[in-house]
Amino acid sequence: MRKQFRDTVLDLAKTDKKIVMVFGDVSVYLFAEFQASYPSRFYNIGICENTLISLGAGLSSQGFIPFVHTINPFITERSYEQIKLDLCYNGFGANLISCGASFDYAWDGATHHAYTDMAILRLLPDIEVIQPGSRKELDILLRSQYGNGKVTYFRLSDHPHTIELPVEFGRAVVLKEGGSKVTVMTAGPMLENVLEACRDLDVNVVYFHAIKPIDQDAIRRFRHTKILVVHDAFGLYEAICEVPDVSVTYYGLPDKFCSWYGTLHDIRKRVGLDSFAIRERIRRKIQES
Amino acid sequence: MNMMNPECLKIRKEILKISKATGHGHIPSCFSVVEILYALYDTIRHDPKNPSWDKRDIFILSKGHASLALYCILSEFGYFDISKVYTFGQFESSFGCHPDRFKIPGIEASTGSLGHGIGLAAGAALALKINNDLDRRVYTVIGDGESNEGSVWEAVMVATNLKLDNLTVIYDNNMSHARGLQIPNPKERLRAFGCETSEVNGHDLRALKKEFKKAGRNVRAVVAHTRKGYGCSTMVRNHYEWHRKAPSDQEFTQLLKELDEKTV
Repeated sequence: MRKQFRDTVLDLAKTDKKIVMVFGDVSVYLFAEFQASYPSRFYNIGICENTLISLGAGLSSQGFIPFVHTINPFITERSYEQIKLDLCYNGFGANLISCGASFDYAWDGATHHAYTDMAILRLLPDIEVIQPGSRKELDILLRSQYGNGKVTYFRLSDHPHTIELPVEFGRAVVLKEGGSKVTVMTAGPMLENVLEACRDLDVNVVYFHAIKPIDQDAIRRFRHTKILVVHDAFGLYEAICEVPDVSVTYYGLPDKFCSWYGTLHDIRKRVGLDSFAIRERIRRKIQES
Repeated sequence: MNMMNPECLKIRKEILKISKATGHGHIPSCFSVVEILYALYDTIRHDPKNPSWDKRDIFILSKGHASLALYCILSEFGYFDISKVYTFGQFESSFGCHPDRFKIPGIEASTGSLGHGIGLAAGAALALKINNDLDRRVYTVIGDGESNEGSVWEAVMVATNLKLDNLTVIYDNNMSHARGLQIPNPKERLRAFGCETSEVNGHDLRALKKEFKKAGRNVRAVVAHTRKGYGCSTMVRNHYEWHRKAPSDQEFTQLLKELDEKTV
């Protein structure tokens, strides 16, 4: 997905001279072509995430469109106050691009696991929080949102799904609708596991690529059903819960550090987010309903 | 006897009056930066009638709790009438105890939480460089207590690494750091982090203006030695007690008297 980020930005930069890339010593080599083409708008400022955001805000204050990029927990959790104040409160628009979603860097342990980012960012006024699940989603949503003057967070994953979907900012996609009493709602690369899990089950399936703004119309459409949110992070469940009169249950991460290593798939399996375990949970939900 | 400039004396009296009228303070912090701010606005390029003038220099008050001093200075230079500032800190006032860029002409960035100003200023300075806007400069005032924050030093490192020779960082060394984490040698530290440094009496307008006009080959850091509560011996002696306090009627009279006597 990072390659798509590079390709889309390179394409946008051909015509948009306001784009400035600010890196926290991550993906620098990947953007060598951008650096060669636009050296005055390419900065690897080092491993200093607070300043990464503040510098981006300062660039934005003078009319530039910064893309600020580094690893997920460091750009979000470590720099939360800078995002809140320097960007959101000051109204200095910027694009925050993280890599290393959820357990993409499973082998690096809990310091590099990232699951709170969307839950905390969505609380900030007027921010956009986007979890593109596929390269196509990233490409379309980057193009539609990057220059709107807002603070927009894009959560990149190294494990995108490859499912072909219609993509429009703020619009959820209903993938299965059969009049079932149970609706599975999910977001991001998890979609592949979720679809595999419920391929022949009697459930509705709704997919979100934006956590904020959340498509409330899509949620309201299924509020007569029992909603099961399947997600390998926080934020989607909480956003859905805010819609009045919905019955929602979260199925995802435990209330403890997932202090294992290995791969994304190892951790998903351990916490029950592989397609088999998801299927069992959905079946139970159907039986309960 | 101090040689306080008459305008700066007037501004200090205004700060006292507004603080007394509204019940909000940070007076000692304001008093330490009055000359710094006056010298800045008397030096930099700005247009009170057109605050977003595209040739202006940019100033960010990183120690946003000195906002009342900045409001009085902006008023003195013609941005708005001082009567408006008498709503300081009130519910629907534009003039909060920390400045809001959407509410007040001349405020470039909303500040308050410490340790943000240099990073913001560095970004603005970098933007001017990308635009080849070489005649314009960016200034920020940070506090010595504020400089306990790691983000201050992170941003200084980034700014000097980017060789932002259009950025001036003014370090208000009013000794408020002394109670907690002490920074006894700010000039040496700023120099070690790559700045071109100088030290100046932070209450000497002429010396300050001279420093603010200088440009070098990297970030300029001006360590301005000031006194927290400068002008009033009561506050200089008890600046921790007065940090956020507003004067009573009796204290107000005493503080005005001290200002006029020019003993500190």
